[in-house]
Amino acid sequence: MTRPLLSYKNVSKQYNQRQILNNINLNVEPGMVIGLLGKNGAGKTTLLRSALGLITPDQGEIQVLGELSHQLSASSKQKIGYVAQQTFGYEGFKIADALALHRSFYPNWDMQLEAKWLARFELNSKDAINDLSIGQRQTLALIMAMAYRPQLLILDEPVASLDPIARREFMSDLFDLALDSGSGILFSSHITSDIERVASHIALIKQGELLLLDELDVIRDTVRKVSFKESTIDLSAYTILNRQQNCAIIYGYTGETVVGALAINTLSLEQLFVELHG
Amino acid sequence: MLEFINVNPNSGDPIYKQLHEQIVRLIVGGQIAAGEELPSVRKIADHFAVNPMTVSRAIGQLVDQGWLERRRGQATRVAQNTTQQTDQQESLLFKAIDQLIQQAKQLDVPQATLAELIKKRWEL
Repeated sequence: MTRPLLSYKNVSKQYNQRQILNNINLNVEPGMVIGLLGKNGAGKTTLLRSALGLITPDQGEIQVLGELSHQLSASSKQKIGYVAQQTFGYEGFKIADALALHRSFYPNWDMQLEAKWLARFELNSKDAINDLSIGQRQTLALIMAMAYRPQLLILDEPVASLDPIARREFMSDLFDLALDSGSGILFSSHITSDIERVASHIALIKQGELLLLDELDVIRDTVRKVSFKESTIDLSAYTILNRQQNCAIIYGYTGETVVGALAINTLSLEQLFVELHG
Repeated sequence: MLEFINVNPNSGDPIYKQLHEQIVRLIVGGQIAAGEELPSVRKIADHFAVNPMTVSRAIGQLVDQGWLERRRGQATRVAQNTTQQTDQQESLLFKAIDQLIQQAKQLDVPQATLAELIKKRWEL
């Protein structure tokens, strides 16, 4: 078995007596693209930042490339890519100067990749960072996080400001990284159709708890919405993700007849997300 | 052949199933002929901007089911003799039929009436 690139073991975190993360267990292995799905405030950013050692958990342990997340060595840090939800340094720099400075931290920087991406996303290296649009800044942040082919890539809402063409190009690059270089990718996004395209696995968090973690295709194959009249319906064969008076979201369905069910429907990722927060 | 295929990430079906189903339809419908080469997994994945593992899963199932042939070091091709084709052809209708049955049950339409209705509509 390969060692996970990132592993959370029983990780919990509180802020001001509010439980932000509650006993999270999650492994990111080579080749995985894990889409992290959750409402605003569900704990996604805390989860991602804690992997970088920017936040220390109250309980549990996070291992990154075989080291504890809050004691990462410099050489491990060079193998991790991170794009934050917002903010971007290098104000007052030109693109070329910002890249030169950034590049100096990473011995494995791929100049060809950088040139290819600058051209592809039509960024002019003479332009000042201050003049870039939000989408262009995000693109540059992605180039900065990916041009050294990190073993572990952590992305917090990476594509929200990118246009659909740029998103597609970027996704193709993600696969290069995951499948050709064997990297692991953990990313959060609200764009469920993107997650549906890109992710090999889904981690769904709700109020700090990991509600669902599995291969995307397994989730799509075995999660169903069951509608019923009688609340006595027997659903004990399944994991129940959410239950209302006349319907339930079940996990582990394999095509059998459910006695008392009026309808058993498949759900797209977006429908699942909405149903679980109903 | 990729222009005949449409991937919808918001649909109720997982993407690998959409690919699987549509490729079978293209083979059965004759839009892609026996012996014809399929683009590489990576090319298909890039075209639809989907995870190559998803494409691999669909292609793998099609190979297992005898629709496609994969020889070492060569492109994947449409199989020469697709056995049990009639069975498979009919199975393409299962999903639509299941939906129909479900709706009939919800509306309390009995089986015999449903069969009668299908017959009537068929002869329109």
